[in-house]
Amino acid sequence: MREWNVAFIVLAAMANAKCAFDNLLTHSSRSALQAGLAQWPTDLTLTQAEQLRGRALALEGSPRPLRLAVVHTYTSDLLEPWLAMHAALEGFELQTYHAPYGLTVQEATSSSALLAHRPDLTLLMLRRDDLDPGLSRPFVALPSQQLTALRERSVARLVEITAAFRAHDVGQILVTLLPSLLPASLGQYDAQAEVSEAAWWQATKAALCERLRSELPATSFIDLDDVQAQVGRRAFYDTRYWYSASYPFSAAAAAEFARRVTVVGTLLKTPRAKVLVLDADNTLWGGVVGEDGIDGIALGPEYPGNVFVDFQRRLLAFQQRGLILAMCSKNNPADVEQVLQCHPHQILRDAHFAARRVNWLPKAENLRSLAEELNLGLDSFVFVDDSDHECAAVRHALPQVQVVQVPKRAVDVPACLDRIARLEVLTLTTEDLAKTELYAQERLRRELNDDIGRSGGNQSDYLSRLQMKMRISVDPIAHLARLAQLTQKTNQFNLTTRRYDEQCMRRFIEDRKTLVLDFSLADTFGDSGIVGLAIWRRVDGGCAELDTLLMSCRVIGRMAESAFLAAGLRLLAAEGITQVVADFLPTAKNDLVREFLPQHGFEPDGRGRWTRTLTEIAGDYPIEITLTTGEPVSSTVAA
Amino acid sequence: MSLFERVRSTIATTLKVPEHRITESTVHEDLPAWDSLGQVNLVMALEQTFDLMIEVEDFEQIKSVPAILAYLDQQGVR
Repeated sequence: MREWNVAFIVLAAMANAKCAFDNLLTHSSRSALQAGLAQWPTDLTLTQAEQLRGRALALEGSPRPLRLAVVHTYTSDLLEPWLAMHAALEGFELQTYHAPYGLTVQEATSSSALLAHRPDLTLLMLRRDDLDPGLSRPFVALPSQQLTALRERSVARLVEITAAFRAHDVGQILVTLLPSLLPASLGQYDAQAEVSEAAWWQATKAALCERLRSELPATSFIDLDDVQAQVGRRAFYDTRYWYSASYPFSAAAAAEFARRVTVVGTLLKTPRAKVLVLDADNTLWGGVVGEDGIDGIALGPEYPGNVFVDFQRRLLAFQQRGLILAMCSKNNPADVEQVLQCHPHQILRDAHFAARRVNWLPKAENLRSLAEELNLGLDSFVFVDDSDHECAAVRHALPQVQVVQVPKRAVDVPACLDRIARLEVLTLTTEDLAKTELYAQERLRRELNDDIGRSGGNQSDYLSRLQMKMRISVDPIAHLARLAQLTQKTNQFNLTTRRYDEQCMRRFIEDRKTLVLDFSLADTFGDSGIVGLAIWRRVDGGCAELDTLLMSCRVIGRMAESAFLAAGLRLLAAEGITQVVADFLPTAKNDLVREFLPQHGFEPDGRGRWTRTLTEIAGDYPIEITLTTGEPVSSTVAA
Repeated sequence: MSLFERVRSTIATTLKVPEHRITESTVHEDLPAWDSLGQVNLVMALEQTFDLMIEVEDFEQIKSVPAILAYLDQQGVR
């Protein structure tokens, strides 16, 4: 009798699981399928993977191809169903070429089958001992110089293999190294040992990634050690398949590996996500602040408030990746303001948000106006909200916005953005790290401007309140890379749109006939970094030509361009130049500066160029200017 | 569904062959897709379909429909 009961319970559980999986398949969008999968409690079976793939492809209509090439020194074919499933969930139809088994560096030749496949991604599935045979034996007893040599050989070998592929058009290269099946030679003492295998490997991996980052463009390292940590050391390998068929992965490991490969495909083939737009109630905190009050919402050290504290921490992490945060909430503005300013456990404060919409308008309308304010396309938006209705409404009205619904179970909330492929990054620059800060500063400026406008002030009141300080550098060899980048990237505020590489910039800076000036602009809200460049060429007869004048759009509307031009003219006048010539070369994007020259005293010379004499150079701008020497420009010029 | 029908469906889905090509006497040589890699895939699929843990020693023994049916019977799958 008891056995019958157990059998019944097992059968019932299986029926429930099947029923739940069938429910998962009824989701009507790929993102809902992904969200359902993220919370799926067990490993998927191959059949289920196949069903999910079919469902996702059916929802997509016309999936885009994702072309993958695999170079492998262990069995890779069995990963295919998992790769195909995750690709389908991202809207791709996967087309895979598996190179012949082995370290087939000969595939890195122009006539190879791999190149003929024209891959978007080339995945290197390598084993550690491919790098050096020494890695297949315990090495803790080796003397330290041999350990160093082993590391150097291993790193050099992997760089060499990767570089061989990088020399060809193989798409983004994904480098992976299979974790060791065996635990450390010294067992649990390893962590404490003078030569710890784990520590040695971490350092080797860091050295390797440093080389990949600095030497090999379009190359990503997918860390299978981290996949192993995520699914668990014992759950990562299926030893039966490993020893009988050289296929290492359990279903859990295969699915997670495949997901991470697909992430890179998504990042390459979809518009970059730049903005996370967050709802407030039941997203940043639990409950509804308008009903529960600031003391009633769930946010703090106890469950469920701790869930939302963790979610907010997570949002800060996304900010570090270069995403900017915005808020879109149906609420009374004062209620939300009170939480941001006064709630003791609120982590995200006013300054963390680049823009906010707290009102009762439809969210799609607010998203459009946020896009306008931030000057970013809606296809760079990821919208996060708990409400079925709001999510559905935004999906319908703005299909280009990616919608993420906050899970119903509170404990699932903190991780709900961790598996969104477009929130990952392939590279990181210092500018990315500071991006939200720059946007937040810009918002504070707009607010100040609005305040002054409301109290009857004008534009010049606003500008003087900013207390702007411009730092101009003359022939700044230290800024070489940034200046070359500015000529490459600046399209709108650019009189001539001449693109220069670092070598050209170096020639201009070193050439005594050429005067290179750049500027950065600081005000009460922050420092812009280097945002403007002028290249003046002195020609005979007391004349100079303006080769390039450009400025980043970040500082438009603060008269910086006028002050910068005037400062340059004064410097030239001080050395005896009496006339300057400039050009406006129209492009599809620089209409912004069509009137710049006539507005600044230049007149047409009748031959298509613009000219002005260096008398009466205006100087009454609300900006304090210094040269990098620290002396104010006006006194330098007067001397 | 009979045991054979469930096995047939699993083989058909895993090896991507039409069900009518699989009979109660099919052996791996009959289907080009049932190669060594197909076998590993099939073992995984059988484990998941019938909620089993197949030992590595048995991988090579169950390379035909009759062998699979006998194996499942021996494991108490009805």
